[in-house]
Amino acid sequence: MDFTFAPEHVALRRLVREFAENEVAPLAMEIDREGRVPFETLRKMAKIGLLGVCFPQKYGGMGAGETGYCILMEELGRVCTSTATNVGAHIGIGAMSVYLDGTEEQKQKYLMPLARGEKLAAFVLTEADAGSDAAAIRTCAVQDGNEWVLNGTKTFNTNGSFADIVTVMAVTDPTLGARGGMTAFIVEAGTPGFKVGTHENKMGIRGSSTAELIFEDVRVPHENVLGKVGEGFISFMKTLDVGRLTLGAACLGGAQAALEASVHWAKTRKQFGVALAHKQSVQWMIANMATEIEALRSLVYRVAWMVDTGQPFTQLAAMCKLYGSEVASRAIDVALQIHGGLGYTRDFPIERNFRDARISEIFEGTNEIQRIVIASNIFRQHGVRIRP
Amino acid sequence: MDFTFSEEQEMFRAMFRDFSAKEVAPSAEEIDHEEKPPLEVLRKAANQGFLGATLPEDYFGAELDGVSYALLIETLAGDCLSTAVTLATHVSLVAMSILEHGTDAQKEQYLPLLASGEAIGAFALTEPDAGTDTTALQTRATPPTPPVGGGEEGGVVLDGVKTWVANGGIAGLFLVFAAAPGGITAFVIEKDTPGLTVGYREPTLGLRGVAINTLYLENCRVPAANRLGKEGEGGDIAQQALHRMGITLAAAGLGVAEAAIDAAAQFASERVQFGVPVAKKQAIQNYLADSLIEVEALRYLVYHGAWLVDQESDLTFDAAVVKAFAARVARSVTNRMLQVMGGYGYMEDYPMARKYRDARALGIIGGPTELQRVAVAQRIMASKDVEIVP
Amino acid sequence: MRIIVLVGRVLDPSGIVVNRRRGRIFINREEYLVNPADRCALEAALRIKDATGAEVVALPRGPLPDDDVLRQALAAGADRAVYLTGDGFKGADDAVMARVLAAAVERLGGADLVLAGATTLDTRQGQLGPRLAEALGWPQIVGAWQVEATDGKVQAVLQAPTPRVGGDRVLAPGRRWGKTPPPRVGGDRHQPWSPLPPPPPPRVGGDRGGGYATVETDLPAVVTVLPGALKPRYPDGARLINIYRAEDAVERWDVADLVEADALKPLLERRGQDFPPERERGVRVSGTPEEMAQAVADALRQQVRG
Repeated sequence: MDFTFAPEHVALRRLVREFAENEVAPLAMEIDREGRVPFETLRKMAKIGLLGVCFPQKYGGMGAGETGYCILMEELGRVCTSTATNVGAHIGIGAMSVYLDGTEEQKQKYLMPLARGEKLAAFVLTEADAGSDAAAIRTCAVQDGNEWVLNGTKTFNTNGSFADIVTVMAVTDPTLGARGGMTAFIVEAGTPGFKVGTHENKMGIRGSSTAELIFEDVRVPHENVLGKVGEGFISFMKTLDVGRLTLGAACLGGAQAALEASVHWAKTRKQFGVALAHKQSVQWMIANMATEIEALRSLVYRVAWMVDTGQPFTQLAAMCKLYGSEVASRAIDVALQIHGGLGYTRDFPIERNFRDARISEIFEGTNEIQRIVIASNIFRQHGVRIRP
Repeated sequence: MDFTFSEEQEMFRAMFRDFSAKEVAPSAEEIDHEEKPPLEVLRKAANQGFLGATLPEDYFGAELDGVSYALLIETLAGDCLSTAVTLATHVSLVAMSILEHGTDAQKEQYLPLLASGEAIGAFALTEPDAGTDTTALQTRATPPTPPVGGGEEGGVVLDGVKTWVANGGIAGLFLVFAAAPGGITAFVIEKDTPGLTVGYREPTLGLRGVAINTLYLENCRVPAANRLGKEGEGGDIAQQALHRMGITLAAAGLGVAEAAIDAAAQFASERVQFGVPVAKKQAIQNYLADSLIEVEALRYLVYHGAWLVDQESDLTFDAAVVKAFAARVARSVTNRMLQVMGGYGYMEDYPMARKYRDARALGIIGGPTELQRVAVAQRIMASKDVEIVP
Repeated sequence: MRIIVLVGRVLDPSGIVVNRRRGRIFINREEYLVNPADRCALEAALRIKDATGAEVVALPRGPLPDDDVLRQALAAGADRAVYLTGDGFKGADDAVMARVLAAAVERLGGADLVLAGATTLDTRQGQLGPRLAEALGWPQIVGAWQVEATDGKVQAVLQAPTPRVGGDRVLAPGRRWGKTPPPRVGGDRHQPWSPLPPPPPPRVGGDRGGGYATVETDLPAVVTVLPGALKPRYPDGARLINIYRAEDAVERWDVADLVEADALKPLLERRGQDFPPERERGVRVSGTPEEMAQAVADALRQQVRG
């Protein structure tokens, strides 16, 4: 077993770390306060190919694989969760859905500009009555000649308010439900009837866009069916599976940032005549945090390796997301406690990280869903079928 | 041991709930989103006598017993933790300190002002280098060269900076702690005293309706009549105030945790996924049940603590236990209940996100949990003759 | 046009603690960076390449344990990179490197411009550029802030040292921090690029508190570049991945093919290390201005006399 990163991944991490510290971190507080998406950062990332990090070079990507993508998400998550969210929605589920299920023509037409960062992507699934129960969506697509007509409202969508290319899940046969009744479609922004509704006012990740998307008689050519008609649910589950791993990587970065901040503060701040680092309460907090982070790191990169080597990874990716989000939440909570009042003031980044971290247990499949996925996988191997 | 509320306490509780639902709940979102101190609510609270909640009637207080006061704070906290903390600071930290340690003249001068709401009280102890360690004060109280205000003792001149002064921005009276030659001493200072400047307001994660400010004392002359207690007694006054406040904040934590469970339970009963209300899912039931178990354990701990305040015993140990447990429960319950609400729990359009942000403060304000654990460890080791220091 | 860029690595200073009391330097975290001034030199070379299509070749400024620094130069945009290795090379100092690099330039078939960082971050050495210029017999420009090369000439803007106003970004001017320094966003890792302000256009007569001068010379020449002068570009990601996957991306030369064995003998012999003496306590004078002036004059007279 070789636990070292390949030289190109070490080099990639160095590049991304420097980019994150010099270009992403300085804007983190500002984009949170102003509630804006840092498009200038996304453009800079596109320029050096980061927005296609995992896609093969023949599609305009960087060819660094899932491991490279996890490295990117980890380093972004370390400095700014909002930016990591924008990038993750674009690469990990938006463009990824085209990569996993697109025809060669669709990849040339859509994946290439997305991988080059010339265009931005979103992945559109959730509705008001279909959150964890993704199969309960009601947006429908009706065939009309060589086109499909989409109608419905999607909620809580990341990137959809500005993405150029979105992949949308719609019901094509209401009688069949998830098994055979759903289809994925590629929709371009600007298509008549495709509108952006209300923007959500979130507690955290305020530098990312969460909005309602409205489809009113949106006409989409048959060539834009992604995958096969009726197999949308399966293809979306594939996309979400791999997205989960990289959210775990972003959480790893966030937890790492919490640890670094805690260590720095513990050695700087003096109370009762000594630095906090000399208090066992603080030492225990930091040791526990560091241990969880190492465990998460091993899990995340092992699963990345499994993806890159074509092994099954669904259950482990769910574990990455579940454990990663919990480790990050615990780490930043402890970091806030170590910083005391300064952890509670908006003049300092800890409280922003605290607000940002909270969403990771909810989006991309709540941790409850992750547990259901893990338990189902385990029991299926023993012949028991679990239903959510 | 009679664990039931008295008839009077039941009546008070109904009255508090009524007041909170009518006056506090509708303003809670605005108080948080606009970061507006709840002055209108305080005015109405003053009319009900809440601003002098535990003060004797002689000073225009409502003379509530400890448990009733806890019920008041608990109820208000359920709707708006900012309002509860503002009121708690005013009553437990400031008004009660003056009641316990003031001369008759001081009590007659200040308590009616506080009870009527003409002046709101602020508590100024923390400094940039004295957060958890409140004995290391750098604000100095030195005798002036020519005596001020006449009399044998000529008052003092205060110099220093106080941070995290709760209610600082809306206060008419400040309870300030400074290091005098004879030790830490407490002073009551009125708002427009020359040399006292209310400065920077702390932008916070939660409790955004509480005005938390930095206070600058520059050559601030304070007459002898304004000294609370004896010189060198300030440390004890501060500790007793913080013990009372610890129990009050615990009541607030209880209130916010209960309200979080109610809100999440309501949501879980209405939100349908996978064909049923999510309340039908065992995982969600477990979150609710675990939360209620913690809340019930906290409940009687809080009421017992509140009863102890009235017994005038040394609260060091009990306040630490109650405060530490309440901080833990409030945080874990609001966290779990936010999870029950899923994405909706994360949107600022619903109260849960606010409760989550607000509750997080309870582990820090009024003495962080780490300090409470020291007090408990001290009690355990006291009988074994081992000295524990923070 | 061929431009040679010298690149080297330095210890990250944020991992080092100097303990005067124990008379030792502790390396708590042994991590290396590319010498920041060298990155600026490479950036200067790449900008000339962008403008004129020049060829950029990266050479090491000293012995390296592996070719990683050179790969980084390739990833950023250099066309070729050569790693030097060989017996007796490990202890090479700047005097040796000047000889070795002069020979390397000759083996490459000559060059028009050599760019190198003006100083190294860890040892603050600035002699390699001038020594190499002497070894090559070329003119040298030391401490350039901007560099341009066209039509057989190189122009550089020089800057006199100006005190840098730096420190932590103060997050909220209104708040009080007390004795504890404000928490630093991003920790204390050394930033590879320190943002100094860009120079104003040079003026005859200089500026208050610093100065700028433009100089020009014919190529070939050696120019050393100040750290912080230019913001180094980020390498293209795909290029980076491909270079690191190609085992033979960096050429390898043996120094024995470049110079004789005794040319590898270092000029410096390390005999030990010590700290500079403690600063003596000063004398505080007080009183009226006349009294203070008299006291200072007396003290100075005392010092001079003994």
